[in-house]
Amino acid sequence: MQLNTSASVMSFAKQLEADSSGFYQEMAQRYPEAAALSLAFARENGKYATMIERAYYGVITDAIEGCFAFTVETDKYVIEKQLAKGLGYADALNQAVNMEQKLISFYTDAAEQSKAFMADVPRTFLIVAKKRKDREDKLRALLKEK
Amino acid sequence: MAILEEPVKGIVEVKNYIDGEWVDSQGEIQDVVNPINGKVIARVPISTKEEIDAAVEAAKAAFPDWRRTPPVARARCLFRLKELLETNFEELSRVQTQEHGKTIDESRGETRRGIENVEVACGIPTLMQGYNSEDIASGIDEYLIPTPLGVFGIIGPFNFPFMIPLWSAPYAVATGNCVIIKPSSEVPLSQMKIAELVDEAGFPPGVWNVVNGGRTVVNGMLDHPDIEGITFVGSTPTAKNVIYPRCGATGKRVIAQGGASNFMVIMPDCSLRATIPALMTSFFGNAGQRCLAGQNTVVVGDDDRFYSEFVKGVVDTAKRIVIGNGLDEEVQMGPVRDADKKKKILSYISDGIKAGAKLILDGRSDFKIKGDYPDTCFLGPTIMEKVEPRMKIVTEEIFGPTMGIIRVKTLDEAIEICNANPFHNADAVFTSNGRTAREFKYRVNSGNVGINVGIVAPMAFFPFSGIRDSFFGILHTQGKEAVRFFTESKVVIERWP
Repeated sequence: MQLNTSASVMSFAKQLEADSSGFYQEMAQRYPEAAALSLAFARENGKYATMIERAYYGVITDAIEGCFAFTVETDKYVIEKQLAKGLGYADALNQAVNMEQKLISFYTDAAEQSKAFMADVPRTFLIVAKKRKDREDKLRALLKEK
Repeated sequence: MAILEEPVKGIVEVKNYIDGEWVDSQGEIQDVVNPINGKVIARVPISTKEEIDAAVEAAKAAFPDWRRTPPVARARCLFRLKELLETNFEELSRVQTQEHGKTIDESRGETRRGIENVEVACGIPTLMQGYNSEDIASGIDEYLIPTPLGVFGIIGPFNFPFMIPLWSAPYAVATGNCVIIKPSSEVPLSQMKIAELVDEAGFPPGVWNVVNGGRTVVNGMLDHPDIEGITFVGSTPTAKNVIYPRCGATGKRVIAQGGASNFMVIMPDCSLRATIPALMTSFFGNAGQRCLAGQNTVVVGDDDRFYSEFVKGVVDTAKRIVIGNGLDEEVQMGPVRDADKKKKILSYISDGIKAGAKLILDGRSDFKIKGDYPDTCFLGPTIMEKVEPRMKIVTEEIFGPTMGIIRVKTLDEAIEICNANPFHNADAVFTSNGRTAREFKYRVNSGNVGINVGIVAPMAFFPFSGIRDSFFGILHTQGKEAVRFFTESKVVIERWP
């Protein structure tokens, strides 16, 4: 599905954050060795959703291209939010890395599409993408330790 | 994606808000219809002369105490109002979509713009300061004190039911005046919601009043000797032939903002990637129902390749616009406000075709509505080529989702077309050349000028300008000019022998 309006992209981003938060909460329960980090990630997701919402509600005006700022193909950013039954710790970490990559790509693409139109929204998207890149590095480090 | 929940359930009985009370009207009652589905969502009174008189009385009675209230205390009322508007942001936005039909992005944008005016007015303790000169002659000082005048009438249009009265009202009350707002009877719910929050914010009774209705209320305001001034936003014929002269005749201050027929000048060096979405917003945003909307593009130069690429770009993008219920977050364009307005737009399209314009995207029939809604108020984007500056679709305001394309050879010709038009509200140029941009902004006689901006909407701390048939008056709404409009300059010369 293609999303063009800011409202729909904001809702999509918030849904991704909620799904990703759910994923990390489950990960914390299932893998005690990653519990602290996963719970921290889940909490951060809530912060990201708030940051995005604030940026949008702060910058949206009748004068900008709110309904024409994006061409987001949602199929490209579908994340695997469930951990399969019996999945090993390393595979779970890999799934988390894949999810982060999808989310980084979503935020980077959406920021690029809207940079001429939506002022603070693309800037916030890039901040979230950068923080998620840090996350990806942390997850990869855990994989290495494994 | 799901459709957002409607905040207005059932049928709201709209009342007047006079002297801090919700009052039933004795006038006839009119239905308020959601243009998306034709459902009646409210009933609004068409108030009587006695009711507008009662509101003026209440406002007049409240004025002396309100005027004596220190500006910082008045500002605190506005701070509380601002907080309440933020808390209720989403509901206020969805109400606009329900009563007007605009998309949720547009409604949220309108809410933000309205709140920004309240924010600016919160700065009244400094905005309202006067100035002085010591020793204009030895031992004599002179100073200026901006003082409020009394009661002001604010008449709102249908296209921005939430925001436009807030271009005036926060500044009027911040400076110590009292207001009576008459919302458009087609879309009264937003102002009713604001008045509920005004009440909660603790403004004294009589400072902020809302009287619903039509001509009787407008005439009651225009004729009333205790109303010091009027701000009006609406059509040019009403601004020019009714509001402005009648205010002149009764010695009232006036800001009368009228219609427009705005030009978007396209230079061949512009970035089409950025320009086309800007044009979509300008021409088709709010279904074209705004005085800052683009009505015609003027494509400059004889580069046929660029011209074809431009036309293909706008037509292809406009064709893909998702039309439907504005509470569906994927929708990019809602309906026009009512069937009569649609009829008027259709008649302009026919006029254009008869006059020789070539229809290249037919919004009369070539569109699909997302969801199961009647097409009573819906139109698709219409694009016409071979438009000439003399055509009615250029010289008159259409107020709908239409784009006329005029082609000229030079920037000079484009500027001449802009300047020959009777309206001068907002014209813009799209270019990557600084010299072209400067030339355009220097020579074009528009109140609001855009450089690579399709909707030239001044922020709350700038005046909402307009020239010739788009504006009647001297000072404008918003920011410092509004503060000036709502205050008299009292000059004191002081000597203590």
